[in-house]
Order: sequence, then structure tokens, then C-alpha cells
Amino acid sequence: MEAGGDAAAPAPGDAEDVEDTQFPSEEAGDGGDVHEGSPDPEDGGLEETGPETKEQPPDLLSPLPQSEAPSCTCGLWSPAASENSPMGGPESGSGSQGGDPSDEDWRSKRKHVFVLSEAGKPIYSRYGSVEALSTTMGVMTALVSFVQSAGDAIRAIYAEDHKLVFLQQGPLLLVAVSRTPQSASQLRGELLAVHAQIVSTLTRASVARIFARKQNYDLRRLLAGSERTLDRLLDSMERDPGALLLGAVRCVPLTRPLREALGALLRRCTAPGLALSVLAVGGRLVTAAQERTVLAECRLDPADLQLLLDWVGAPAFAAGEAWAPVCLPRFNPDGFFYAYVARLDAMPVCLLLLGTDPEAFHDMATCRRLVEDGMHTLGAMRALREAASFSNASSASAPAYSVQAVGAPGLRHFLYKPLDIPDHHRQLPQFTSPELEAPYSREEERQRLSDLYHRLHSRLHSTSRPLRLIYHVAEKETLLAWVTSKFELYTCLSPLVTKAGAILVVTKLLRWVKKEEDRLFIRYPPKYSTPPAAPAASADQASHNGLFTGP
Amino acid sequence: MRKPDGKIVLLGDMNVGKTSLLQRYMERRFPDTVSTVGGAFYLKQWRSYNISIWDTAGREQFHGLGSMYCRGAAAVILTYDVNHLQSLVELEERFLGLTDTANADCLFAIVGNKVDLREEGAAESQEEDGHSPGMASGGCASLKVSKQVRPEDAVALYKKILKYKMLDEKDAPAAEQMCFETSAKTGHNVDLLFETLFEMVVPMILRQRSQGPAQTVDITSYKPPGRTKAGCCA
Repeated sequence: MEAGGDAAAPAPGDAEDVEDTQFPSEEAGDGGDVHEGSPDPEDGGLEETGPETKEQPPDLLSPLPQSEAPSCTCGLWSPAASENSPMGGPESGSGSQGGDPSDEDWRSKRKHVFVLSEAGKPIYSRYGSVEALSTTMGVMTALVSFVQSAGDAIRAIYAEDHKLVFLQQGPLLLVAVSRTPQSASQLRGELLAVHAQIVSTLTRASVARIFARKQNYDLRRLLAGSERTLDRLLDSMERDPGALLLGAVRCVPLTRPLREALGALLRRCTAPGLALSVLAVGGRLVTAAQERTVLAECRLDPADLQLLLDWVGAPAFAAGEAWAPVCLPRFNPDGFFYAYVARLDAMPVCLLLLGTDPEAFHDMATCRRLVEDGMHTLGAMRALREAASFSNASSASAPAYSVQAVGAPGLRHFLYKPLDIPDHHRQLPQFTSPELEAPYSREEERQRLSDLYHRLHSRLHSTSRPLRLIYHVAEKETLLAWVTSKFELYTCLSPLVTKAGAILVVTKLLRWVKKEEDRLFIRYPPKYSTPPAAPAASADQASHNGLFTGP
Repeated sequence: MRKPDGKIVLLGDMNVGKTSLLQRYMERRFPDTVSTVGGAFYLKQWRSYNISIWDTAGREQFHGLGSMYCRGAAAVILTYDVNHLQSLVELEERFLGLTDTANADCLFAIVGNKVDLREEGAAESQEEDGHSPGMASGGCASLKVSKQVRPEDAVALYKKILKYKMLDEKDAPAAEQMCFETSAKTGHNVDLLFETLFEMVVPMILRQRSQGPAQTVDITSYKPPGRTKAGCCA
């Protein structure tokens, strides 16, 4: 299948970083050897028949003819039609004000993300000012509606080293323009996360209502103040891709007795209408407790939990006790929860109490005091502060550990997601990874590693030809990715390691994870706060709620 | 938990400096602030009373919550940016309606912030060295004079509010007493603003207490009919 894709769509990044696209030595678990990363349109077409395709015509799944793509995309970059330089090539546009599409600095960004309304009204752009981009966004709308008029839907355009991914979500159109090695489906995942972020502040229903009433509404009015949240989200996906790639949350390493005591404490401290309590440090989960009567059998989706973890980490919650509405897009995209957010007395420790009653602030504040008192009794504050203080100065207050802890020389970094979890259905997907240390202290290095992880991930999860094991020798590092029924693992090793050496390192790492798993993961997540009711029809309910169950 | 005895709410358009005013008063500093999410609750001990202060988000996105924060409020601080006339207009158009849920005898203070950025007539401060990142929009010194808000405009708004609340000007505190011009950056008038209000809120607390314990917090008549109506699973 890769032939078809390759012909029309040259592998991204080929031109610029040859070493990364080469896989000189590979062991393919399923016996097949691997060719250049072909961003096959089938990838997207086959795998995502999900929510966004619902109202679309059925023939949506057919991949788009790609040959006509490049000419279209040139148009995107030269709205004034005054310049015709290909996108990747040396830009002829002279720099003017930021955000102008002819601005070289703007054009040279690795990845652009745009949000616009169906009517073509700009809502968000990762870089530059939205005002300067209305023409560019107009072209995007034209592309989308042109394909739509043929009863089809545009999903992606592959143009030289750029990928353009389109995602229509109700009245919103999201577009990624990227020359990173990310696959179209990975980019689509990021667009979905951006959309989820918008939904979490406004709800899907209210966005739909607004545009139903006034098609050319300027949604920026309602999103004002949220742009920085979207910027932060996109930055963190770029820098720390684990959560999105693996669809899992990261836990604070903590001894099992302490974590269980904290879980029990959260379950004990309830308030009327309380649905979910979460303790977090620096965007990582300490523990969470769910109220049976509110969330019933619906396990919180990891994407929703990740959204909450990012949300409570926002600087806006640094002072005072906050009370704000938030929507969990995977749980119910149309309704708000009300969230109490406060940093407990050790500053980085954050408590989130999520309820359904908009008037319950004082009940939640009382509940917080119970949790705080309980934590003092447990002596947990000190332990959490220690967990939070390990990390180096660059990532303030993110609790983590050094890769040195593994004791496997040559191992630089890894992402590990256990799949052999007890009580699979209820378990929340988690992953662990050490702090990024030298040589990944500079932004470019981190980006390179993130790119490599993305490549390996899209190989392992290719819908047409999934792999189980990849050994990849890159210029500055060697990587080994491995997926089994028990785990999904990405390791980054020194470039001088031999294949045998790499296997040794990975064996050591697996042994270490096994030994530490009680500390690294929530092995036995807290049960519900209130005694379970009759379990009848619970599965039904889950489907009614439209809840996506985790992998 | 210490039950608050009285409630004060900060309202106003985004970027007028509500959070900065409160930070200046509570923590005596002027840090870069970020856009507030929802509302943030602070408790201030004033004499023997606990006064709660709600710092609300000015973003339109959270507009629906405004009347919830105002429920049972003893005082509302309506904040605008003296360099940005629209922010004063917004107070009347967008925020005044939110105060319907406040106490019947609720006090109103009209506060023009960022006087340090005013081009002329601002004897208070010589600091014209540009704007701080935390108070981005409207902070530029290049704003036209016509956009500036004169103290008379604030007084006029105060009188309009009294009319809106159907209060007699003779019964309510004088406009001169309730209109402030402040700078969270330099601290100008910030203490005066909050402490004037605290002093005025205390007798209200006492009056409420004397009316009997059942009425300590006068919210019963404003409670919405159903608690569950905004539930997530509704």
C-alpha cells in the first residue's frame, strides 16, 4: 500500500533532515521491513470515522486525490497572488508586520494551527495576529467548501514537506499546517485536543447555538483570554508529547501506602454534588476519586483528565480559591461542571473538586479544608513537596525522576505505558517517563526527540501495517520502540549503543519498571466515594453518555 | 470553615486591572497577572469580621456566572480603565444587570484604575514608561485623550446606578465618596478604596445580625428554583 501513498506524497521532512527519515536497521515484529514514512491518506481515512464524520456524506472515507494539492497550498501562502514561491522553498515574501502570511518569520514556523468559523471568520491562530490572516483563512474555507460541494470532505493535503490537516467540528473548522514529521492522524489528534479545549470553556452546545443564531459571529469575543491557554496546550504537546501520543496521564511517583491513604482521604471528603476530586502536582496526577452517583459507571476519559490536569496548572489558579465552570468534552460536551480549584499550602499541590451545583462553592471550600487537614495528619504535604522538588529548575514544580534512577547506562529517556493493568476497564491509562536531561536541555534537541517519538509512534500504530518492534539508528541517538500486550515502550539511547547493548538496556529498564510499578503508577485506583449501587444497565448508561472508554 | 460575614465583588471588563487591584491590596505588590478564570475567592479579616472578596473574570465567556458571584453581596466594586472609555460603558451595559442578585442595600463603588498610565492631569504618578504585560490592552500611552474617562463620567454613572436601583440619592452614600481613581501599579488610593468599603460594610453586617440569625445571609429569596438545572447530566 505504501507505493500509492509515496508516489503522490513525498515523505515529509525528507529534504531537510535525511538522517531522521532513514531507518538503516530495523527489526519489524511482524516480519515486514519498513519503507520511508509514507503519510498514507488511508491512515486518516480508515481510522477516524468518529464524531466529526457523523453529518458528513458516507463517501467521506475515500482518500483525496493528492496530486492537485500543491497548487492549492501555494495559494494559501500567497493570498495576494503576488508571489508564487513554493512553500518550503526560499521565501520571497519580505517581512512585514507579524502574522502577515508574507512575513518570513511567520512562514518559517514548523507548525501552524488555525481555528475558524464555517463562514471563514478567524478565531485563533497559533502565530501572528488573526486579523492579518483573514484572507488566508478565506482560502481555507474555500478549499473546504469546494470539496464539500462535491459531496466529499477534505481531510488532508500533502504538499512537498508540508502537511495540511483539516478537521471540521460542528460550526468550527480547525486546520494544522505542519512540516514536522507528525502523521496526519497525529496532527488530527492535536486538532481534536484544541477543539476539546475550546469546548471545555464554552461547551459544544453553546458554540452550535451561537452560530445557529448568527453565522458570522466573532467567537473571539467569547474566547478572549483563552488564546494563551491554547498556546500553552500546543506548546506542551510539542515539548512533551507523551500524554497525547499514548492517550494516558502521568502520575507523580509516590509510595503506594501514601497514595492509597490519599485516595482514601479524597473518598472520605465529600460534598453535595461532588463528582470528582483530583490531587495533582505540576500537571501530574497524585490520585483521583470519583463519586459513584454522579459519574456512575463512566470512567473518566484520560483525555478529559489530562485536560483538567493542564487546566488546573494554569497560572490563573495560583492565588485564591477559584470557582469556575468547565466542560469535560469526552464525558459530556454540552454541559458544564463547576470546579473548585485551590493550591494547598505547599504551593504546587493542587486540589480540584468538580461538582454539578453552581452554588456549591462554600461546600467545596469546606471539603477542601477537610482534605487539607487530612493531608497534614498523614504528613503528605512534606512527601509531595519532596516529590515536587526533585526536578531541575527549568520545569518549575513538576515532580519527576532522573533517568539515572534506572541504572542503565546509555539510556537517555523513555516513555512507558503499561497495558497489563489489573481490572482493565476501570483503570485509568497512565504512562511514565523521566525528566528530559542533557543532551535534551535545549529546545531544538527536545523537538528532535519529540519528532522521533512521533515517527516511531506512527509506525507502530500504522493502520495499514502496524509494527511491534522498531530499532532506529538516527544521527544523534538510537531509538527502540516496542509494543507488546503488556506495555508500549519508547526508549532513546546513546547513538553508540549496539543492538545487543540496546536489548540489554531495555531489559534492565523493564525490570526496573516492574520493581517500581507501585510507585510509578496508580495500580489500584480508588473505588467510588459512595458504595456502588446495583450495577445493572451500567454499560448502557455509558453508551448513552457518549463516553469513550480508554484503550 | 470561617464563615464570611459580608461579601464584596469586583466586577468590570477584562484587562481593567481587577486582579491587580486586589493583589496590590492583599499582597502589597503588583505582579504580572493572567486572565482570571471564573472567579477567585479571598477572605480578608477586618477587625473581627471575615469579609469575602470575589475577584471575577471580566471575560465575556464567564458572564453567566456574574450574578452567582453577586448573590447576597454587600458591596460591588465596578472597575474600569480610565484610559479606555469603553470599559466604563461596559459597566452599565454588561455588568450592572449582574448586580440584581446583590443585597437590596448593596453599596456600589465606581473605580477608575490605571491612572498611572493617564497622559495628562495625572499628578499622582510620573510613570509613563509603557504598559505592563499583565494589563496589556488599553495600557498603551498612545491612546487618544478622547478615550480617557473624566471623573465626572464616573459620577454620572454612579447616579445612574442609584436610579436603576431606585434608591434616593439622599439615602445612598455620596457619589464623591464612592467614586475612586486608583493605580494598582503605584498603589494610589488602593487601600483607601478597600478600607472605605470595609468600614461601610461592617455596619451592614451588624444590622443584618441584629435582624436575627435567620437573616444573616439574605440569599433565600434569590435562590434559583432547582439546584439540578445546570447539572452536567441534565
